[in-house]
Amino acid sequence: MTYQTAHLGPITVDESSTIEFPEGLPGFEECRRFVPLHHPEHAGLLFLQSLERAELCFLALPVRAVRADYSLALSADDTALLGFPEDYRPALGSDVLALAILSLEEGRMPTANLLAPVVIHCLTRRAVQAIRPDRRYGCRELLEVEEAVCS
Amino acid sequence: MLVIRRHPGETILIGDQIELEVIECGHNRVKLGIRAPQHIPVMRGEVMLTREQNISASQSIAGGAIPAMLGRRARGGPVVPLLGEAPGVEPG
Repeated sequence: MTYQTAHLGPITVDESSTIEFPEGLPGFEECRRFVPLHHPEHAGLLFLQSLERAELCFLALPVRAVRADYSLALSADDTALLGFPEDYRPALGSDVLALAILSLEEGRMPTANLLAPVVIHCLTRRAVQAIRPDRRYGCRELLEVEEAVCS
Repeated sequence: MLVIRRHPGETILIGDQIELEVIECGHNRVKLGIRAPQHIPVMRGEVMLTREQNISASQSIAGGAIPAMLGRRARGGPVVPLLGEAPGVEPG
């Protein structure tokens, strides 16, 4: 199916490429369906395009591209929302993907939200923006690997 | 900041419409019950922080640098999905 987007032009997306946030994202609760996209020449950098609002597109990086030693911390509620048993600890890469939403603002260093990564169940493509129950990372962590964005 | 000590089962009133009850007090977390009118949003502090961060992050792509970069390198082809079947490719 083809969707018009404000920043990436028309995109053709198969159902199997979409992810669904059953509860939306904080601030965008009504936006449930997104598609993670990348550009062949910007390997690593991801575009999280809303399929319901043409102008809504987040920039993101896999959490391990931001912090190589990043480990996931999911609350029991978020684990269940993703469809896992509450006490299960999903593995990054095989069970779930985790993306950090980026903030690029004029005159400021780019930052990544490592406090609340977008966590995607690899098989069901159900997603949640999972706020860490611990405070190990903040929501504006400086990008250490700027080349991933700029090169 | 006003600091009040409460036992489980005791309440705090904020104005005449908001009631906070300490339901349970565990080792390192407390369970609170909140009674408030429908029009008063109640959310965890970190959800509010994430909400504000999302709203500001949603403007990142409009900043110009990324679209310019995409325009300049359009020869590299359009964006492609990270997951699932490639567009135009039949499954199997």
